[in-house]
Amino acid sequence: MEIPLVLLLPFAGSIVAALLPTHARSAASGFAGIVALATTVLVVRLYPEVHAQGAIEWRQAWLPALGVDFVVRLDGLAWMFSLLVAGIGCLVAFYARYYMSPDDPVPRFFAFLLAFMGAMLGVVTAGNLIQLVFFWEVTSIFSFLLIGYWYHRRDARRGAFMALAVTGGGGLVLLVGMLLLGVAAGSYELDVVLARGAAIREHALYPVILALVLVGAFTKSAQFPFHFWLPRAMAAPTPVSAYLHSATMVKAGVFLLMRLWPALAGTEAWFVAVGGAGAATLLLGAWCAMFQRDLKGLLAYSTISHLGLITLLLGLDSPLAAVAAVFHTMNHATFKSSLFMAAGIIDHETGTRDLTRLHGLFRAMPITGALAIVASAAMAGVPLLNGFLSKEMFFAEAFYLDAHPVIQYALPLIATLAGTFAVVYALRVAYGIFFGAAPDRLPHAPHEPVRWMRVPIELLVFTCIAVGVAPALVIGDLLATAARPVVGGQLPPYDLALWHGFNAPLLMSMLATVGGFLVYRSLGRRLGSAGLDVAPFLPIDGQRSFERTVAGVDRAARALVRRIVTRRLQPQLAWMVVLATAGAALAVAQTGLVWGDRQRVAGTFAVAALWSVGATSAVAAAWLAKFHRFAALVTLGVTGLMVCITFVYFSAPDLALTQLVVECVTVVLFLLGLRWLPKRKLGDASERSPRTRLRRARDLAVAIVAGAGLSTLSYALLTRPAPHSISPFFLDRALPEGGGTNVINVMLVDFRSFDTLGEITVLGAAALTVYALLRRFRPPREAVALPAQQRLSLGEAATDLVAPREEAAALTGYLKVPAVLARLMLPLAVMVAVYLFLRGHNLPGGGFVAGLVVAIAFIMQYLVAGASWIEARLTLNPARWIAVGLLVAVATGAGAWVAGYPFLTTHTAHPEIPLLGRIALPSALFFDVGVFSVVTGSTLLVLLALAHQSIRARRAQAAARDAASPVASTTAVAALPLAVAADRR
Amino acid sequence: MIATLTAAVADAVAPLMPHLVVAPVVIPLVAAAALLAIGEGRRGLLVAGSLAAMAVTLAVALALLAWVDVRGATPVIAVYLPANWDVPFGIVLVADRLSALMLAITAVVAVCALVFAVARWQRAGVYFHPLFQLQVMGINGAFLTADLFNLFVFVEVMLTASYALLLHGSGRARVQAGLHYIAVNLVASALFLLGVAMIYGIAGTLGMADVAQKLPAIPPHDRGLLYAGAALLGVALLAKAAVWPLNFWLVPAYSAAAAPVAAVFVLLTKVGFYAVLRLWTLFLAPQADSTTRFGADVLVLMGLATVVVAALTMIASRNVRRLAALATMMSAGTLVAVLGFGSAELLGGALYYLLGSTLAVATLFLLADLIERAREKGTGATADEGLVAPPPFAFDEQPVASGVNLDDEEAALIGQPIPIALAFLGLAFIVCVLLIAGLPPLAGFLAKFTMLAVLVGHDGAPTSSLGWAVVVVLILSSLVALLVLVRTGIRYFWVPQGRAVPHLAVIECLPIGGLVAGVVCITVAGGPILRYTTAAATHLLDPSAYVQAVAGTKATPGPTQPSRAAGGGTR
Amino acid sequence: MEIVLSAAIGILGASGIWLVLRARTFQVLMGLSLVSYAVNLFLFSMGSLSIGQEPIVTPGIPADLAHYTDPMVQALVLTAIVIGFATTALFLVVLLALRGLADNDHVDGKDEGA
Repeated sequence: MEIPLVLLLPFAGSIVAALLPTHARSAASGFAGIVALATTVLVVRLYPEVHAQGAIEWRQAWLPALGVDFVVRLDGLAWMFSLLVAGIGCLVAFYARYYMSPDDPVPRFFAFLLAFMGAMLGVVTAGNLIQLVFFWEVTSIFSFLLIGYWYHRRDARRGAFMALAVTGGGGLVLLVGMLLLGVAAGSYELDVVLARGAAIREHALYPVILALVLVGAFTKSAQFPFHFWLPRAMAAPTPVSAYLHSATMVKAGVFLLMRLWPALAGTEAWFVAVGGAGAATLLLGAWCAMFQRDLKGLLAYSTISHLGLITLLLGLDSPLAAVAAVFHTMNHATFKSSLFMAAGIIDHETGTRDLTRLHGLFRAMPITGALAIVASAAMAGVPLLNGFLSKEMFFAEAFYLDAHPVIQYALPLIATLAGTFAVVYALRVAYGIFFGAAPDRLPHAPHEPVRWMRVPIELLVFTCIAVGVAPALVIGDLLATAARPVVGGQLPPYDLALWHGFNAPLLMSMLATVGGFLVYRSLGRRLGSAGLDVAPFLPIDGQRSFERTVAGVDRAARALVRRIVTRRLQPQLAWMVVLATAGAALAVAQTGLVWGDRQRVAGTFAVAALWSVGATSAVAAAWLAKFHRFAALVTLGVTGLMVCITFVYFSAPDLALTQLVVECVTVVLFLLGLRWLPKRKLGDASERSPRTRLRRARDLAVAIVAGAGLSTLSYALLTRPAPHSISPFFLDRALPEGGGTNVINVMLVDFRSFDTLGEITVLGAAALTVYALLRRFRPPREAVALPAQQRLSLGEAATDLVAPREEAAALTGYLKVPAVLARLMLPLAVMVAVYLFLRGHNLPGGGFVAGLVVAIAFIMQYLVAGASWIEARLTLNPARWIAVGLLVAVATGAGAWVAGYPFLTTHTAHPEIPLLGRIALPSALFFDVGVFSVVTGSTLLVLLALAHQSIRARRAQAAARDAASPVASTTAVAALPLAVAADRR
Repeated sequence: MIATLTAAVADAVAPLMPHLVVAPVVIPLVAAAALLAIGEGRRGLLVAGSLAAMAVTLAVALALLAWVDVRGATPVIAVYLPANWDVPFGIVLVADRLSALMLAITAVVAVCALVFAVARWQRAGVYFHPLFQLQVMGINGAFLTADLFNLFVFVEVMLTASYALLLHGSGRARVQAGLHYIAVNLVASALFLLGVAMIYGIAGTLGMADVAQKLPAIPPHDRGLLYAGAALLGVALLAKAAVWPLNFWLVPAYSAAAAPVAAVFVLLTKVGFYAVLRLWTLFLAPQADSTTRFGADVLVLMGLATVVVAALTMIASRNVRRLAALATMMSAGTLVAVLGFGSAELLGGALYYLLGSTLAVATLFLLADLIERAREKGTGATADEGLVAPPPFAFDEQPVASGVNLDDEEAALIGQPIPIALAFLGLAFIVCVLLIAGLPPLAGFLAKFTMLAVLVGHDGAPTSSLGWAVVVVLILSSLVALLVLVRTGIRYFWVPQGRAVPHLAVIECLPIGGLVAGVVCITVAGGPILRYTTAAATHLLDPSAYVQAVAGTKATPGPTQPSRAAGGGTR
Repeated sequence: MEIVLSAAIGILGASGIWLVLRARTFQVLMGLSLVSYAVNLFLFSMGSLSIGQEPIVTPGIPADLAHYTDPMVQALVLTAIVIGFATTALFLVVLLALRGLADNDHVDGKDEGA
């Protein structure tokens, strides 16, 4: 199957080209040329089929979910464009071989070039709208990469970015347009869309569709007001300009207009929008082209102008004009790309593109000169050249148009004017460069290029002449094939003769030519040089306004972002609280809130008193937390205690127990932490500022409202009858199947043991994090220095406060009694833990509580005896405890697999044990062992890691006393012994 | 090709299938414990073990994917009962199409991030490997569990591990960001718990399917409270899904984190989205009363706001890591925005988009690390440019006078060869840009196109004004993402001279290459994957199959627990 | 009784939130602890407030919610307490680390005007 090959070849080729060695210039270009040639041959060989059947296609399922296939569809128009793309691509590849410097890393260049060719072919052969947009954007991307090929040049970077911004953005707009078009036509298939033109034009969305599609087309084809990117794109290597910016990519826009002509054209809106933009672009481009100083700039603007001409023709809503448009597209492709190549040669051989310095080159490069002159004559529309024919058709269309009288007079005028300008800039190329005073002050001495570099131009110019002399013979059949699909299958009568007799169009041509000569004579060489190097009477400069817009958007974004994005914590938390409160309030408001009718539990004085204390201490904590941290800590503890008692009161002994031990550990933790916090004095300046007051008031309001909401919700739920909950099941099964009477514990280790597994994982992870972070802990400066009271005390006094001795000594000294007691406590505590652990399954207790008790016992040792003393005597490796605990827990769970049960299924064995007799041994017990181990390990790890900071701080103090800066000293702090212990194993 | 691979894996582990559902949780947990026991000393062993565990997890995930993906009306929904108690009394794990998909993407990203971390980052602090495993465990658990409270537990596992990984390597920026991140998430967790509590208080059960079943029976005067609970839950989850205005923590945290960590963090926001999606489709969407309709609109609007804010912030920042973080935010917003519409095709496209954007952003985070290392090596430029950076769009050079385009005044007309390493980075970067901006030819375009096509109503459905808003926002955000990222790319890759050729370790290129390959795969397999995601979405929007599958599952009868055979019991 | 408890929850929550919104890390820590108290009580109160009905199965008493309090919420609260403890410890240490690195205890690491 040959059709898909047309797309496949270039892309495959580009991948191969990319892999060639960096400086393989001939190989790369040769390869690219061959690929392009092969593609061309393929296309040509398809002509008979296309000619016969009108449209041939190849189909492949793509996105079945949306009923979109991948369709390569070749009708006359697509075929003609494919030929242009492939053929000129071949010539450009050949040309680039000689244009690019030997030191250039060309494989990249040719890879991009071939990929672009593939994308462009994809656009023209797209069989459905989505596919068209798909390749459309790909062409934008590769044109970006090609323009930016010489990215070390400032103008290349900027030109590439601008081109991408305009064409890529246009592509996105086009995507929406195509989607809507698909909706209007009821399918994305091109055939369907083209067939349903009437329905589409009737559709309510038609104006939107038209606008979106036109934005896409105009951005791509550099139509006013999106024309400004094209001149900037001239920073690309000249072969790229010759290919993308004259023959192919910029033609994609007009291609789209032709493609959708049957579907969208024929309405007032179309006439106004397309015709208007075309006319404006035609004039604007030609006008600017006259004043360019850069040769490529001139060509770029003339391209814009010619594209405007084509757009204008398509806008005229007449089949004949559409045919003319197709014709001019072909002609422009030939003469303009040959001109670009010629410009490339001039630039290459003279080292400049400055038109004010290029003159009298004919003597130096006659052949190139001749070619360039013929090509620019074609551009100006001189008889016997292809440009003339399509221009005449255009003039005819412009003249014989029947529309609003104003337009009827304006259009011929515009046409003639544009023609005049065209003659002027054509003369600047043809005459200005090659005749006049002998060239001076050129970077290089001009001379003819290598013979082969001219070949592509010769071919193209030959085509210009051939078509120009014998159009019907050379091009007639082809043009008919190409134009038929555009006008919807029914070609209007026209004849491609040179001589239509003496008529208005001819007159207009003459006027234009004469006018052009006159203008050039009067202005001549001064054009482009100082004073005349910027087109006058132009209110806006597209490029400037583009950059100004972009910068403006940027500034606006910054300003806005500063308002709506914060990096501070307080607003974030406030947002969350407010949103939650609002959300809950709204939800409740929908149905209204009613209290339940559940039997209230009689209030007792005890509880009331309890909670009056609890609430007071909570508020106190809130009040004191800033300036009296210690007091706040105490009051917090009180609140915790109240919670604990509440649990006891409302028959939750396990919760109470857990809350209690957690409370203890937390307090120790906070106490260890307090030491590192900075001093804070009452009433610093910021306290009284109105802003602070306002913020406080706001926060207070938020807090109160949220709190009120919370109690409302809890009251509403408390007063409701208990839902028909799943809980009775647990009470029911705890003993017979869970093997324990303490339902809570059975739930933890059996019913919901999966939760518990996650819970201990969290604990372990937190502990590891704490440790990992504290290894890098850097004590704050003032915390490293001695506390005030120590500094105040008399230096000579024999107190441990001033000269802290080794902990060991302290133990024999002022800490003797506590130390003894603590050491007595250790075994007792362990015993208690074991007791709690064993009864856990049947009575309050269990692995978690036991673990915390053991941890507390160890902490007590640390508190009185000091870290180094303990670690000299017993090596704890909490990390290891965590690891073992987790492993035990998981192993218990996985044990069930052996018996073919799901993870964590419990099983109660009843082994005979001497002395004890037959006892129930639920596997949950081992799970609880795991819990115990993890809890002990984690708690110890956290507390010890924190406790060790004081040791390090003391080292830091020592270092500080040795006149080293505290910062330096912190780096001197070695990792804790704990860390060593952990790392060694 | 992926399909065949997964199929092969599926056959291999067929006998284990029933237990396979819990494996994505157990394997990383065991690995973490083992690595912890091994100790930090033996680095080689750590790396080997960690990688092995991840590889197995990936295999399991793919096997599950292959298992649940049967063509046909009734989906395979794998239900697993840890501790073997009947629904709804025990905890339930469910692997359906959606869960399997999320597990797979998680595993892929995690493996790549881990390999990347092996090169340098693992040495930035202690316990990296165990905590990394726990991170994955948490994420997987959150994707698998079908029990509200268990979801809370796994989210906590995930978060705790993420705190650890975020702080990995310490340093002012990370600790600062970490404090904010932790504070926000603690408050969010409190809300989460409140929400769960209220739902239990009203429905008297915790199993998601069970709640869904009991909802219709809830008397109207209780619904308000139920929705209030849902709202609290929603705020908590939307904060995790990084929806504006609950997402200010994201950019500092993600851009401060070590590269591989940031890559994994991309998944965290997806967990938030997943939870919202799951609970929304199970609980609220079926109710279809005024409150839930209102909720749907709120979701759409918040999503849109997120995308807009992300786009604006993108314009205002130029640092690659910040841009990657913002891209995460952008995709999060997009996902939440389309969630509110309740169209299966749309949701299917969104899930496909999720795959692409996740891979792309993860890649971008890894790339940013290498790019900035190279850049710092070359020009002493620092990586951290915040909002204070000079205007990114306004070009660093003054605009040249028109016509001054004359070669002898410009640099030579000879290109500069691009070092192979840089070319690699550049290509990967382009891939990321195309995906994030949703441009052809990659998956991003297919996904965006699918979503837009549904939104503009290609299936004949009239488009709501909200729908139009989403279309406009999606297009504009694409454009912004494209231009901003390209501009950044120009700044990093098209530096005229003095470029320092980065020295890339193969081990660092490997994961990037892998991720890019993944992107290409999902692009090529776009059709089948879209079919899969659309099927997943369809079953999400009609949860009856899910509910039935869960409710119908019975515990395995056992010798010591005869009554389990009877199942049910008090109900 | 319900009034008392829900009022208590409200007050704990309010003072907690107030603290959470403050600018000093220690205040936020305190606030988070208070909030977690409130949340735990809230979760606890989802079960029935019942006195002298510990969920410890004793033979002879019918196993239903009339004679035992709801064990489910207790199990949940237990898990919540533990997780709260772990995260609080973590937050404390991060707070200390920031204080060490930033040389002040403002939540944003920079003193007033931030």
